[in-house]
Amino acid sequence: MTLNKYYIFAAIAGLMVLLIVAAMPLGGTNWPEILACFAALFAGGWLGRQLFAEGKSQLEQIENLKNDYKNQQDKASKCIRENKDLRLQVQLLKRQKRNTEAVVYSISDAVIVTDANDRLLMANEPAGVLLGFDAKEAILKPLEELVMKKELVKLIANSRTSRIRHVKHELQFEAGDNTLTCNCIISSILDDDNEVCGAVTVLHDITREKEISQMKNDFVSHVSHELKTPLASITAYSEMLVDDEATDEKTRKEFYSIIQGQAQRLNRLIEDILSISRIESGLVKVNREPVSTALIVRDAVEMIKSYAAEKDITVEDQTAVVFDQVNADKDMISQVVINLLSNAVKYTPKGGKVSVNSEVDESQQVVRVTVTDTGVGIPSEDLSCVFDKFYRVKANSKYAKGTGLGLSLVKQIVEKVHGGRVFVTSEVGKGSSFGFELPLAAAEKTLVK
Amino acid sequence: MGNKKVLVIDDEIHIVQVVAMKLRNNGFEVVTADNGSDAYTLCCEEKPDIIIADYQMPGLTGIELIEKIRGTPGIENIPVIILTARGFAIDDEQREKLNIAEFLSKPFSPKELLAHVENVLQSSAVS
Repeated sequence: MTLNKYYIFAAIAGLMVLLIVAAMPLGGTNWPEILACFAALFAGGWLGRQLFAEGKSQLEQIENLKNDYKNQQDKASKCIRENKDLRLQVQLLKRQKRNTEAVVYSISDAVIVTDANDRLLMANEPAGVLLGFDAKEAILKPLEELVMKKELVKLIANSRTSRIRHVKHELQFEAGDNTLTCNCIISSILDDDNEVCGAVTVLHDITREKEISQMKNDFVSHVSHELKTPLASITAYSEMLVDDEATDEKTRKEFYSIIQGQAQRLNRLIEDILSISRIESGLVKVNREPVSTALIVRDAVEMIKSYAAEKDITVEDQTAVVFDQVNADKDMISQVVINLLSNAVKYTPKGGKVSVNSEVDESQQVVRVTVTDTGVGIPSEDLSCVFDKFYRVKANSKYAKGTGLGLSLVKQIVEKVHGGRVFVTSEVGKGSSFGFELPLAAAEKTLVK
Repeated sequence: MGNKKVLVIDDEIHIVQVVAMKLRNNGFEVVTADNGSDAYTLCCEEKPDIIIADYQMPGLTGIELIEKIRGTPGIENIPVIILTARGFAIDDEQREKLNIAEFLSKPFSPKELLAHVENVLQSSAVS
């Protein structure tokens, strides 16, 4: 607006000059007027020039201001863009953190994350349980205060300073009454400057694996021992025959029959091992049909009588005649009853008594077969293990030979194949009661309906 | 070598029989037992020249039996051959401590067992 004013002044000054010049021819030459006119003209020009210069500089200022404003606007929108990016990045980081936490918290291995000063940054629940601290409340506490196992604290500090991935096998941890064995892997975390800023420690519990491996070793060692025993007789007697050490026909016949008997023993052993293995792996062919346990028991008692008679043991079948059909594989259940009966005879001293009973329990809808003996009994600490493969009651091993497979087979057949249940009660010096329950065929039919 | 007395201990009756027969056929006198406790009593009574024992037996195990014999004056120096179906049941240190002359694994050859018995008796006679 001010600029326009200057232009108006300049225009008025110009107009005045024109009027003076126009008035000049009318009178005589009036120099003072002319001078005044020039002065006015000059002043008008100067003023105009001044006004123009001022206007121009103001225009420039305005232009600069405009540019500044635009720059500021650009900067502001850039900032807004950057801010938006940052917010996205923060969101992304938060999500990544949550992902990491979800990964760490859902791992069944114990995982702990520590910083450059060995303070706890993150720990999942298994870590808290294994190392004995509350994973939620322990954050930022020094590891040394939290972890009792000093060997682990040292390992983490060492691997952090040496910057290498550290693997330590079979670290032992006391957890309550149990000793747990863990494999430990420690990895360093590096920052942008390649400096160690923390460590991730993973502890993988291998206690069960070790137990299984031990069981496998025991199994192999036990099986080989059991197989070698009859094989030793077969080898020795064959060699004697080949070397003509058996001089008369009677001795030779005796040797042949020993070899035959031991070969059969070897075969039975292999069959037992295979049966268990087949049942365990679910490969066994089961031929289920309605059968009466009372009849199976009666047949089994007949089969065992001659063996019992050798030890002057009476076997009594107390089974009442009732309708007790179960859906079962007859041969398998026979094997179960025979195994229980022969065990009872085996661990009962001369002149003792073995009784067997098969009864229907209407309330439970099961048939229960119980074999009771007046034998040596089983110490209470062994009772829970007697059905385990190759388990033999140490205190009783002097009474009889065995592979520790018989009861294991009984359990597998009853529980795994027929969905029943085995049980045992015993008192040292008085005797034992072994038995099993199978669902009544009638009960199974109702269930299916 | 005749008339040397051998004590054979194994809970497998067939093994005892075959070892006894092989030894008797070759001029040895043989006494037998089927468990560690009986073997110890027999050892004290008969004072055999050499013992062949199973490793795993009901009652006293082969190792427990030898420990007991080594601690009994009069029979503490009888050479022992262990016959076992377990290949890795004993370490060298224990073997040396119990002064076990030979460790044979089952299945075994009666011929080889006889050779070992003769060897052990010979070397114990020299020393």
